[in-house]
Amino acid sequence: MTGRLTSARLVGAGAAAVVAVVTALLPLFLDSSQLTVYTELLLSAVVTTGVSLLLGYAGQISLGHGGFYAAGAYTAALMATHGMPSLLGLACAPLVAGLLGLLVGMPLLRLRGHYLAFATLAFQLILLAVIGQQSSMGGDIGLSGIPALGIGSRHISDFRGYAWVAWLALVAVMILTRNIVRSRPGRGLRALATSEMAASSSGVPVGRYKLVVFSLSAAFAGLAGGIFAFFIAYVAPGSFGVLVSFQFVVMAVVGGLGTLWGPLVGAATITLLLQWLNDLGARPGMPDYAPQVFSYAVYALLLVLVVLFLPRGLVPAGTDALRLLARRRLARAQPGADAAGAADATGAGVEEPVPSPQRQ
Amino acid sequence: MLTTENLARSFGGVFAVNDVSISVPKGELRGIIGPNGAGKSTLFNLISGHLAPTRGEITYVGRSLAGTAPHRRAREGVAIVFQGARLFHGMTALENVMVGAHARTSHGFASAALRLPGHRREERLIAERAKEALEQVGMSDFADVYAESLPLGQQRRLQVARALCGQPELLLLDEPASGLRLGERQILADLLRDLHEKGITMLLVEHDVSMVMSLADRITVLDLGTVIAEGTPDAVSRDPRVIAAYLGQESSDAASR
Ligand SMILES: Nc1ncnc2c1ncn2[C@@H]1O[C@H](COP(=O)(O)OP(=O)(O)OP(=O)(O)O)[C@@H](O)[C@H]1O
Ligand SMILES: [Mg+2]
Repeated sequence: MTGRLTSARLVGAGAAAVVAVVTALLPLFLDSSQLTVYTELLLSAVVTTGVSLLLGYAGQISLGHGGFYAAGAYTAALMATHGMPSLLGLACAPLVAGLLGLLVGMPLLRLRGHYLAFATLAFQLILLAVIGQQSSMGGDIGLSGIPALGIGSRHISDFRGYAWVAWLALVAVMILTRNIVRSRPGRGLRALATSEMAASSSGVPVGRYKLVVFSLSAAFAGLAGGIFAFFIAYVAPGSFGVLVSFQFVVMAVVGGLGTLWGPLVGAATITLLLQWLNDLGARPGMPDYAPQVFSYAVYALLLVLVVLFLPRGLVPAGTDALRLLARRRLARAQPGADAAGAADATGAGVEEPVPSPQRQ
Repeated sequence: MLTTENLARSFGGVFAVNDVSISVPKGELRGIIGPNGAGKSTLFNLISGHLAPTRGEITYVGRSLAGTAPHRRAREGVAIVFQGARLFHGMTALENVMVGAHARTSHGFASAALRLPGHRREERLIAERAKEALEQVGMSDFADVYAESLPLGQQRRLQVARALCGQPELLLLDEPASGLRLGERQILADLLRDLHEKGITMLLVEHDVSMVMSLADRITVLDLGTVIAEGTPDAVSRDPRVIAAYLGQESSDAASR
């Protein structure tokens, strides 16, 4: 926990480096439609990382992060279409979303559980309705003709460039999240998730911490929204429906709350599954409502399956399985310790081992 | 160190604490006893800031605590061990105790996210203090165990360690010995005696009257929200009103069984 380099941590760092390199090189081998999926997947992972920080660590739910995603996208789109440097627009996207998060969070974070969920959902609906009425923001039709992202006269001219921008954003957001979680404020957040009373009597400024983490996760969503606006070159309220917010929460839960890699794994699982079902639903002979029915079904089914069978999500289940495998192998290598090791390993498979492994 | 003046708190017109005036000098270990529902926990919630008084005033090291949030009181040295085991789930014992250091440390989100200078040093300091506090309550071997999977007795001790990690000057202990086995009780009593010698001011609520009698400098007896007696353990144990209150409780306990 405190900078000690254990072997498990080295393995973790090595695995992270491999994943980073592979995902960074991946765009070189993808065609343009695959690059679209890749970019949207990573942008979802950026938002989900924030949602997971909020829900998985601080225990506060938001069903309104689609709204912050929209706020970031519209900030970037409006600034860029009004002749401001695109990079400035991108920088302002998380700032505006974060500020909006601060404003919205101040009254709403007094609420808990279901009430907070509904209130954040309402915030998003109100925001979308307001945008739809605003002709200066393109109304229901939206804003088009958003210029490409770039500095001066150099612009990103292909999908591959945006794929890398999304990759950079995800890396940045994951490093920030990791640094926060493994620190004084991170422990404060995790503490207030179980008992605000005990946390505050330990010196944790509960109200301020909740507000900061809400605003920060809104800023993550805003950053992803900003990149999305330049990538698609068109924003409209229709792109930020309520289903988008649900999707982020489902991704966070499926991947594993309270884990660093859960959001990416959850986003990848859902995006790729949806993509596959979309292709399936678009086959000849399928009714034309099939793709949409499939996508709704995926959220529902995955959520139910994960909650029932892997209540802690995919990432913890995966690391548990790996640990089990490693122990089995160890037991086989040391025949004397076989019986004890195997018994230990099966025991650990049934229930969470009591001595804690470090968190991801 | 701590004085309350005519402190009162009502819930829907019923006073849980009524006109309580106590004065605890620095370094004293004050026992607070009283039958169930006497208002002991309510008094602690008023002092730690989780409840606002209906009437009255709390003064801590010469300053009024009116309107001061719980986390600010913690920073001024007021720590509390709650009656229930209010531990942080999904965090190890060590991490739980590290949260207690919030009261005495300052690095925030920006400093953590960007790993600004000084952050590392403070993290190391927090870990050291937390390990010391765990050691003090004899739980070093359980540092890496998830708090919620500990047995009740250890959860209690862990709460004490968390409070100690904030280096408190005033420590409120709400029935820290309940649910502990005899041996564990002894260890806890020794720890409290040790803290008393170090000069930490303490308020100890405990149903184990003999434990309070052996530890406390003075004892305040609450019944139905009011102070019915106060004095040295000896004097209090001979007070007829105290005997009546406790006898009353015993007979009502017997009746409810
Ligand atoms: N939040 C609350 N709302 C309503 N009534 C309350 C509340 N907290 C306490 N009370 C009432 O105030 C009275 C005093 O409660 P308190 O918990 O302070 O007693 P106590 O002396 O700590 O008792 P115990 O020894 O059982 O812990 C009780 O009658 C209780 O029902
Ligand atoms: Mg009580």
